[in-house]
Amino acid sequence: MLQVRNASVFFPARDGRTVHALDRASLDIDAGSIVVALGASGCGKSTLLNAIAGFLPLSEGAITLDGQPVEKPGADRGVVFQKDTLLPWKTVAENVALGLKFAGLPARRRRERAEELLGLVGLEDFADATPHELSGGMRQRVGIARALATDPKILLMDEPFGALDSLTREQMQELLIDVWARTGKRIFFITHSIEEALFLGTTVVVMSPRPGRITARFDLDFVRRFAADRDVRAVLSDPRFAELHDEIRNIVHRPSHEGRRGGQREGWLQ
Amino acid sequence: MTDLARADDTTPAPPAAPKLVQLHPFGLGGARTAPISLATGAALLGLWFLAAQYRLVPPLFLPSPQEVATQFLAIAEDGYAGATLWEHVAASLFRIVTAAVIAASLAIPLGLAMGLNRWAKGVLDTPIEFYWPLPPLAYLPLMIIWLGIGELSKIVLLTLAMFAPICLSAQAGVRALPIERVNAALSLGATRWQLFRAIVLPSALPEILTGLRIGIGVGWSTLVAAELIAATRGIGFMIMSASHFLATDVVFVGIGVIAVWAFAFSYGMRLLEAWLVPWKGKS
Repeated sequence: MLQVRNASVFFPARDGRTVHALDRASLDIDAGSIVVALGASGCGKSTLLNAIAGFLPLSEGAITLDGQPVEKPGADRGVVFQKDTLLPWKTVAENVALGLKFAGLPARRRRERAEELLGLVGLEDFADATPHELSGGMRQRVGIARALATDPKILLMDEPFGALDSLTREQMQELLIDVWARTGKRIFFITHSIEEALFLGTTVVVMSPRPGRITARFDLDFVRRFAADRDVRAVLSDPRFAELHDEIRNIVHRPSHEGRRGGQREGWLQ
Repeated sequence: MTDLARADDTTPAPPAAPKLVQLHPFGLGGARTAPISLATGAALLGLWFLAAQYRLVPPLFLPSPQEVATQFLAIAEDGYAGATLWEHVAASLFRIVTAAVIAASLAIPLGLAMGLNRWAKGVLDTPIEFYWPLPPLAYLPLMIIWLGIGELSKIVLLTLAMFAPICLSAQAGVRALPIERVNAALSLGATRWQLFRAIVLPSALPEILTGLRIGIGVGWSTLVAAELIAATRGIGFMIMSASHFLATDVVFVGIGVIAVWAFAFSYGMRLLEAWLVPWKGKS
């Protein structure tokens, strides 16, 4: 269980003032769940992810992973970035196995594991290609395989499909659901697309800016349904999907002073 | 849909030699400049030939191409000022290569340290920023007073001239490292040393090689200064010695030899870059 308790982050701004980037956010990510943080830019969703990843210390509050406090980055939390961070001087398989190399695994075991993971993301034929020979979507798939290689307890994904065209994006969402269904990894996923959030999340938390905080929470089953029958149309044409889409849209576009008054939605904060 | 697809079948086939177009470029675009450069070279050579032929400039100032060629053959055969042409070249190459090796082995680690560590940056910035804009000729007398007139002062002078560009580029290479790449490695469990070895060093390598190329260029341009005083061998010495006797044709030969070697080094560095950092500019 990953627990975020009353996490607050204050950044120093250029003009000497303080930016309140994250305000008392609390979140549980259980085994087998995909928690999606949704919000406009500046709502603190990336700040929250950076804190969980250990890239950013909290000003207040605490984050624990299976009871252990999170203080710095580690291989127990795999991260997939929006911008691909593959090493251009290494082959695809070497990139996937980077974490295993850091862990000191022998070359043959690394190669086997890399090939296995490339199979999982549908890139088995590209093990010896270099990253600049791949398209944007393929690079993100390598990024996912690399993050999974060290068998982390949780996968943190920071708008991983944000830079992809919408057709590739849909393929990647389905691929991610496959990976999730097959590995059972818990996932924390950031997006600013309502549709993506509804499609992927077992839980969607809606965040709003100034100060960045969690304003609503929805528990969904669209992703489980898709994982079971792989019928995109059934999910997208579900009236509940459209209803939630509108509801979330209203929350996201609500002026922030209203959000502050009416944001307390029952049951969203245990 | 199907109607449109069918209509597609009836569209006329493209002409055998279609007119190929592309977006209008701005500035140079991908235009080829090599033929123009070659033509310019030929034209300059022609002008030189004509100017010498018709005595537009006295031969003392501008010897004819034939004279320079003859002088080159003569020097290659009989040597100049008590040493063969190859001995002059070898003396200069020895100084340049030794200085480059020393400069690189000091400047790369120090530059990386300056990019990574506050104390290294703070301490080393002052002396480097102070000395590197100075022309090597300005501190040449000090080198001679402190280190004598042997090989040492020449090699130290060249090393100092080459050190700064290599060091500054190694530093710039570390600074250009995207933080996401560092965070990615840390979240894959990299230790500090693994981070340096697997991420920082290869990321900085393209910049380091650029610095090395600039450094060697600076080395060649400092060579004549280094061989100005109390040398008995070297291409720079050959040029300075010939200038005392107004042997302009020998000066031309010396300049030509330096130009060819400097070009060869620069080309070699490009090959090294293509081999070591084939990903440069591709990601």
